[in-house]
Amino acid sequence: MKTPHSNAYVVDKVLPRKPLNLLPLWAIAALALLCLMTWNLDISFVDLFDGVGDIFEYISRYRHPDFSDLPEYLQLMLDTLAMALWGTVLALVIAFILAPLAARNFSPYSAVYRIVRELLNLMRSMPDLVLALIFVAALGLGPFPGILALGVHTAGYLGKFFAESLEQINKGICEGVASTGANYSQRVMFAGWPSILPEVFGTTLYILDRNVRMACILGLVGAGGIGLKLYDSLKLFNYGQSAALILLILATLMIIDYASSWLRRKLA
Amino acid sequence: MTSVMSLRWPTPSGLPPFHLIGGLLILLILLALSAPMVEVDPLRLITSLDRIFEFSGKLFAAPDWTYLPQLLTKLLETVEMTLLGTAIACAISLPLGFLAARNTSPHPVIYRLTRDLLSLMRSLPELVWALIFVSAVGLGPLPGVMALAFVTVGFMGKFFADSVEVVGIKAVEGLRAHGANWLQVRLYAILPQALPDFSGITIFMLDHNLRQATILGLVGAGGIGYDLVVAMRMFEYERMLLILLSIYLIVTLLDRISDLVRSKIIQGHR
Repeated sequence: MKTPHSNAYVVDKVLPRKPLNLLPLWAIAALALLCLMTWNLDISFVDLFDGVGDIFEYISRYRHPDFSDLPEYLQLMLDTLAMALWGTVLALVIAFILAPLAARNFSPYSAVYRIVRELLNLMRSMPDLVLALIFVAALGLGPFPGILALGVHTAGYLGKFFAESLEQINKGICEGVASTGANYSQRVMFAGWPSILPEVFGTTLYILDRNVRMACILGLVGAGGIGLKLYDSLKLFNYGQSAALILLILATLMIIDYASSWLRRKLA
Repeated sequence: MTSVMSLRWPTPSGLPPFHLIGGLLILLILLALSAPMVEVDPLRLITSLDRIFEFSGKLFAAPDWTYLPQLLTKLLETVEMTLLGTAIACAISLPLGFLAARNTSPHPVIYRLTRDLLSLMRSLPELVWALIFVSAVGLGPLPGVMALAFVTVGFMGKFFADSVEVVGIKAVEGLRAHGANWLQVRLYAILPQALPDFSGITIFMLDHNLRQATILGLVGAGGIGYDLVVAMRMFEYERMLLILLSIYLIVTLLDRISDLVRSKIIQGHR
């Protein structure tokens, strides 16, 4: 066959056709979508870049932190920490009851398993700030609604994690305890929790860490703690006070972060 | 008889381990000490039960369906803020991640500085950044997107740097032996190895950011949260239920989708 295309024919035979690279197409589509969204949100990044100088000027207003009310701030921070602790303990108590019910190998009925799983899902999907709003409206101002919000929301997380850990434990342990005629609560207490104790510690520490973070901002909706003070001072354009509060929050969160990672390494 | 014998903890004495009991005791003492600080009062919960019932009765009022179009636009705004914030954070955290990884950073000083910057960005909650940005650039979705992107860069930059630090050296050496330059090594040897981790983190952050975007409106940074606060303050209970329900729906929906995508990605790389 002496056709001008014979060479191309041979190459086609030897090498499989190069797959179509659709990546540029996807990238362009994604970019177009992002531009569309920017337009829809009425955001102008050009204006933002024009105002870079103003931003630096704005940041410089925070350069003189005003620590004159430090004792009051520290008291507020302690309140915040106490709120986080109580919220975490509440979550732990709720999860302690719900998690075995949401674990397939412990739950007495599959209907209970389904319902409790869905309940945990619901608890997780409501942001704690929204829950705090609701509890503040129902119970009035103060740290108590904040504790309830933290407890309910993070119980959803703890319950899910614990249930998943419980489902992972060795079948032999459950059967061994069940073979002695142990009832549901005995199985949970002597086969379930002892087997997952390290995970329980680790997850609870992580949640405590997270709750301290959240407790700092729950004050925004009137649920006690340091957040309300920060909100007020920012609203009143009191930059010195705001800077001091932000620095205090920053320092506390970093200390908690280090402490919890140290403790977790200790326990692991 | 047997049941008494076998119902014991897996410790020599059969009792819960010492450090568990000790830890619980310390916890109880801490709780007792901090109880007056947080005004925990079980009695208050009981006395306000009728208020709670009254409130929940109002909450389940007939929903105001005429509000639906506005609700949908607000939901769209929330989702758009999430996507935009995450996309911007992706674009920024890729180069920052290379600077913050020990093996790809041009200089140890730059490595330390970038690490510290990233840790500063993620250490304050989104809502605090949103508060600051709202007072800097005014109300609207822009400060919300900025706050989301800020914290997300802090997380993604760190995680990306961590996965860059553990990439296999073979591909890097192979490319270098072919005379690839500084940028080519990073683009064609390191990035492909770190990309699966990066996409996993992106999905996780997307999920996280949607939850945050629903509440950013509380401080005036755009999204559905603003309507929720207004409905609360104005006692418009017929709107509140719709808003709460829609938050639950979009969060759960994204949760399911991201679960699906994550399992797809994990299976694809096994």
